[in-house]
Amino acid sequence: MSQPSPEVYEAGKGMDAHNAAMREIRARNDQTYDPHEPTRVWVDEDNTPDGVRDSLTIILNTGGCRWARAGGCTMCGYVAESVEGGTVAHEALMDQLDVCLDHEREHADEPCPLIKIYTSGSFLDEREVPAETRRAIAEAFGDRERIVVESLPDFVEHDRLADFTEQGLTVDVAVGLETATDRVRHDCVNKYFDFADFVAASEQARDAGAGIKAYLLMKPPFLSEREAVADMIASVERCAEYAHTVSMNPCNVQRHTMVEELYHDGGYRPPWLWSVAEVLHETADADALVISDPVGHGSDRGPHNCGECDDHVQTAIKDFDLRQDPSVFEQVSCECERTWEAVMEREKSYGLPLAR
Amino acid sequence: MTEFFEIHARDGPARIGELRLTESLTTPALVGDRIDDAGSLWPEARETPAGDRDSLTVLPHRALPAGTPDEVQSAFAVDSPEIDGPSAAVLSSETATEHGSDAYVLSDAQGLVGHARAFVEGIVDVKRAIPDDAALYLPGVATPANVALLAYAGVDLFDADRAVVKGTQGKYLTSDGEQFLVDLDELPCACPACQQSVDEFDREDCAAHNGNVLRARLATVRARIRRGRLRDYLEGQARHEAWLTAAFRRFDQQYSYLEAHAPISRRNELLAASEESLRRVEIQRFAERVTERYENRFSNPLVLVPCSATKPYSESQSHGQFHDAIGFRAHTVSMTSPIGVVPQELECTYPAQHYDSVVTGEWSAGEIEFVASVLEAYLERNDYPRVIAHVPDDYRQITERVEESLDTEFEYTVEAHPTTSESLSNLADALSGELKYSKREREHNTVRAIADYQFGPAAGDDLFEEILTEGRYPKLRVHSDEHLATMVPQYGTLALTLAGAHRWVASDAPTKIVEIDEFVPHGSVLAPGIVDASEGIRVGDEVVVRGPKAFAIGRATMHGRVMAEASRGMAVDVRHVEER
Repeated sequence: MSQPSPEVYEAGKGMDAHNAAMREIRARNDQTYDPHEPTRVWVDEDNTPDGVRDSLTIILNTGGCRWARAGGCTMCGYVAESVEGGTVAHEALMDQLDVCLDHEREHADEPCPLIKIYTSGSFLDEREVPAETRRAIAEAFGDRERIVVESLPDFVEHDRLADFTEQGLTVDVAVGLETATDRVRHDCVNKYFDFADFVAASEQARDAGAGIKAYLLMKPPFLSEREAVADMIASVERCAEYAHTVSMNPCNVQRHTMVEELYHDGGYRPPWLWSVAEVLHETADADALVISDPVGHGSDRGPHNCGECDDHVQTAIKDFDLRQDPSVFEQVSCECERTWEAVMEREKSYGLPLAR
Repeated sequence: MTEFFEIHARDGPARIGELRLTESLTTPALVGDRIDDAGSLWPEARETPAGDRDSLTVLPHRALPAGTPDEVQSAFAVDSPEIDGPSAAVLSSETATEHGSDAYVLSDAQGLVGHARAFVEGIVDVKRAIPDDAALYLPGVATPANVALLAYAGVDLFDADRAVVKGTQGKYLTSDGEQFLVDLDELPCACPACQQSVDEFDREDCAAHNGNVLRARLATVRARIRRGRLRDYLEGQARHEAWLTAAFRRFDQQYSYLEAHAPISRRNELLAASEESLRRVEIQRFAERVTERYENRFSNPLVLVPCSATKPYSESQSHGQFHDAIGFRAHTVSMTSPIGVVPQELECTYPAQHYDSVVTGEWSAGEIEFVASVLEAYLERNDYPRVIAHVPDDYRQITERVEESLDTEFEYTVEAHPTTSESLSNLADALSGELKYSKREREHNTVRAIADYQFGPAAGDDLFEEILTEGRYPKLRVHSDEHLATMVPQYGTLALTLAGAHRWVASDAPTKIVEIDEFVPHGSVLAPGIVDASEGIRVGDEVVVRGPKAFAIGRATMHGRVMAEASRGMAVDVRHVEER
């Protein structure tokens, strides 16, 4: 860790404030969830370093993110989806796994070669997912090709990854880096780790024979559209050295978050889909697969353009994800591009947002 | 310390200012292309900018948009470095505080504009927290429809960003709102961008038009402020959008904020053409002073008469006829919407001599309520042996209501119309046998009544118990053994001499004092020379200027809070001075 300095003191002060605010906001959520059901599960297809594969994506309902319990990230509402009481026992998690396998049998023609497991926290945190459960899940999917598990950098350890590599699985750790800029990650996102921690985790993973899939967040609160785009272009380029895949995702407005407070009071607009296209276009040469999966595209709470072209641009983005060909963006155009250009040119962080 | 911004004229909270860049900018105005943004501290650390006389440097900022939780606002506050050149500090309505810069940029304006309550409360909070003589910039919000309201609230700086962005969205802006370009059958504008057929007019043209209209409306606003008539304009223009109307109505509920900024008098006409006119500070203040400060000193009966279009009333034909019938045997009080009641001594006093209203013979419920409540309060404070209501039928719904609530009876003298010979002779007959008051009594009571109005209850007796009056009404001069004061006909106020000022200081009436440094002011007192000033001073007020070396009397050209805070500008127009 770095030495104490005014900057560190400032950062601590900001973090305390963010956490206090987020705890207060999250406390307004009174929903609870069944620990025997996963949060979500779906079948899709994804681009991997070995090509496009059918995928089973699981969002396990665990105790939720330890960091979110302290307050957590300004845009993350997933803690709201975790169970009451905070921990989910091994047996309940195994019930969730059964539900997911049933879903796959129903919706996929054959077992998906790619398994992706998220927990709204850290799958590799043993307080969230006990070692016993982790091993059981590794075994359950031992016959697949690749597995992606979500984790904060802190929990990326050789032994935990070995549970999967020993099954012969190719393993990726999905790390929510959000941005390569520490200042933005700390002050805008309120995520506590540094880029250096991400680099260290990527080395741990490499030693264990695993890869890194970096998740970036486009447009956390407090940034203008132009600043958000610049931050993403720089971030993709910086983390391509440590991650074989970069998933660059536009922020959406989730329930019970600080972002929602800003959005509600007129101080936040999710990014334009043109901005997503711009970043993908500008980083097409990066030494990594760069993909994006905009959630809630075309809605007020999700990344959106004018309402006319949102589906077309979304289709181009999904097409780019699979083919990595930036010319897809030449196929879409709309009058609102001019509005987006005016916003990129004129919007200041002291006048957010300039357009809806 | 506002070194590069100076206020030259005020109209309520609105002001004409000068942003002193190399090429100076008269505000309210667009400042977007004169901004040098030192950058946001959210994504990266920034160097302290050097400062540049050509542009307004926005100091490094960590802007807090609308909806930022309070604890986050205070944790991420930044300091503002001093730079050599015009500077602007970014703040939110929650964190607004003095930063020593020339201008302040409001970071949560997007959350305020469009929401009447949030806007009014936010702006009033900010304006109270920052120095009055600093410029306020609301970025990214101005449109041709809202800019008059924003300026009325006291905002000085704007940009064309929202207008341009809306143009790119195909929204055609005018001072009466916005329309989709596709819905326009013709271009209702004469600006250069609109000199073409509507079919060829594209979104780039629309953006150019929106900017042109915004600039033109700002010119209208500046002209209105200079003439002291922004409010009259806004009462009409704001009708086009509900939130604008709601906002200026809500502003009227912020009486103390508006009252502090409202001048005591203006030379210009005040047009009362809407129900909201009744809520204007000038109207409310006149009614308040007539019912709480003024005191009738005549022992004659009261005659209530209708107002006249000609001002002052005594110069109108109808009042000439009333005057002839009354023959100095009664005290005349005019009833009028929107002013309430005007005793004859105050007929020249702003705004009694300056207003014009829409007369149809139909009274709105609001007008009836207002005039009746003022008349009732007036009669509760002032006793008369008889009340004669020489008013037309449409006034009787007011007088009868007051008779009922005060449990008293008025005598009615009008048949058909107040100026028919029958009505006039009824009036004269009703007063037969009543004693006449002298010209001297009338003149003395006039200057005392104005003193009550201007300086406070009983001030007329305190200052002017033993006096002589000279000159011809309304240009009266007040003497004792020396000249004390002169009535100013165009404002209906008193201008004191040094002797009058000494009497004022010695009297029980509250004195408005400007304390100055060790110098002898000649012509005017500038803000930097002021040590302190009474909070209650309003633009146009008589003020005593006092310092170690001088005693002077003059008229305030700023309100008290600004005098105490401002670092630039003329504060007092000095009339007479003596060295101490």
